[in-house]
Amino acid sequence: MANALLSRKSPETRTQPRAVPAGPLAAVLAVALLLALTAAVSWGSTSIPPGEVWGVVWRRLSGEPPRPGTNDLIVWQLRVPRAVLAALVGAGLGLVGTAVQALVRNPLADPYLLGISNGASLGAVGAIVLGAGAGGALGLGLSAAAFAGALATFALVWAVARRGGGFAPLRLVLAGVAIGQFLSGFTSYLVLQAGDEQQTHSVLFWLMGSLGGANWQLLAVPAVAVPAVLLLLQARARGLNALLMGDETAAGLGIDVVRLRRELFTVTSLLTGVLVAVSGAIAFVALMVPHVCRLVVGGDHRRLLPVSALFGALLLVVVDIVCRTAMDTQELPVGVVTSLIGAPALLYLLDRRLGSGS
Amino acid sequence: MPTVRIDVEDLHVAYAGRTVVAGAHLIADEGEITGLVGPNGSGKSTLLRTVYRHLKPAAGRVLLAGTDLRELSPVQTARRVAALPQERGGDFELTVREVVAMGRTPYKRAFAGEDTADRDIVARALADAGMAEHDGRRFTELSGGERQRVLLARAFAQQTEILVLDEPTNHLDIRHQVELLALLRAQRRTTLVSLHDLNAAASVCDRLHVLHEGGVVASGPPREVLRPPLLAEVFGVRAAVVEHPLTGDPLIAFDHRSPADATPAEAVDAGAV
Repeated sequence: MANALLSRKSPETRTQPRAVPAGPLAAVLAVALLLALTAAVSWGSTSIPPGEVWGVVWRRLSGEPPRPGTNDLIVWQLRVPRAVLAALVGAGLGLVGTAVQALVRNPLADPYLLGISNGASLGAVGAIVLGAGAGGALGLGLSAAAFAGALATFALVWAVARRGGGFAPLRLVLAGVAIGQFLSGFTSYLVLQAGDEQQTHSVLFWLMGSLGGANWQLLAVPAVAVPAVLLLLQARARGLNALLMGDETAAGLGIDVVRLRRELFTVTSLLTGVLVAVSGAIAFVALMVPHVCRLVVGGDHRRLLPVSALFGALLLVVVDIVCRTAMDTQELPVGVVTSLIGAPALLYLLDRRLGSGS
Repeated sequence: MPTVRIDVEDLHVAYAGRTVVAGAHLIADEGEITGLVGPNGSGKSTLLRTVYRHLKPAAGRVLLAGTDLRELSPVQTARRVAALPQERGGDFELTVREVVAMGRTPYKRAFAGEDTADRDIVARALADAGMAEHDGRRFTELSGGERQRVLLARAFAQQTEILVLDEPTNHLDIRHQVELLALLRAQRRTTLVSLHDLNAAASVCDRLHVLHEGGVVASGPPREVLRPPLLAEVFGVRAAVVEHPLTGDPLIAFDHRSPADATPAEAVDAGAV
């Protein structure tokens, strides 16, 4: 009797209707993203009015010659690439986070669990420490080394995880964590071998995640990869939904589970590799963004994927503004700020989840 | 029109490197509820997983309305068979409605949204399962009985002629067990269901197959199949089968004090003298 009363009461007290429809939310996020991008280019050691920012961008995009003066250089060569990189990396991290959480069926999973970022870090650190004359400059060579590390790790984790029943979640995570730790041992060793303080500093900066290396060339690959992955995942959104319920449920709904897992693992690994190659392993964004978005728009991937991409972009653009402007004397690595925001946010969410008693 | 039934012919299935189903034959006839019973590890779940294509047969075949599963794509299979596995799913903020709408997956192309027809089907499935007023709730905050109803509604929304259910009454209290099985009976679809509770199986199923060590050792109406010698041999229990005073179904009264092996038939006879 008591049971019946309780369960009768629960719909009123516990129902959390999705107050926020995804369409309008996406529009609001897109507008906010544009505003944040404008602010990111406008604010800095030299303040540039938003009107001038868009003037420069307009002239560049329409092919008119830039007006004489230094602001064109600051806007177009320094701040716009950096702001766009922040948006692309944030969107990408939101997407891979969402996909990996479905892939390993754990809402608290992180793409870095799969070891790819450790491989990329080893590649990058190896290039900094061993590379002749690499001298700590963040450039295309470094990104190439990082991506090569990511690819090699992907192949290794693939070889281990595919055995015994096709990329089962636990096996995938264990393979990723084990291989990732193994590789990060090498990375630590290399850091100790760094020749001078400057090298050590650039290695640390890179490991913590930074958008400081942004330039137009660096943007090319993520500018193609992030939208492509959004499309690929969006096309598989129903499959991702089904995976949340379990492999047998997904199979019963007509989904080729092993193939879907293989595709997801490949796509998320490659994009993680691209992102880490251009910005280092930025912490917490891929974990937090899908989690927060799920609370707002619910778990259906048809809505969750685009909203996570937009929110991730917005978050990282804003965080990078903080990183550039918080201290007068030096820039903070973006990963430091995402950790400082992300860890308490995660604890809050965990508390909420466990505290709700479900 | 071929008969909408499931034929399992000489099926062998390996799972985790072990042959779990070895030469099983069974039929689930059109519009009937066919029960699969057997002790733990007898291969019930493995056999069902093969019917809804989570596992592949090592040998033998499964026919759906006369068509070999191997000639059907996964999506075509999912349009004929809806499965209710024993999975609980992770906590991903899905609502009841979203879970039921997953039943439409085999009918939707990539990027396609739900149209009014889909929404009607989902609403009807929710109503049939008695969960219509709960459609906005979070799936993970439901009770066990409510969850099973929602998953059953998802299977209904798949609009298949065949239902395959793996221990659907597990972890449910007796009231919810009765409700769920009544819901299944009301559907009158071709249903293949594994059940732990032999008395539930005896009253709900039109026909039973008893699975033992990977093979079907007895088939037929519950009254003919569930006899004390079989219960002793397959399940290892002593039991008397009597008539249910309310329903007239076979009622198995187990001896919960000692298993069959502990008191061989001679000893029982000797005691009776």
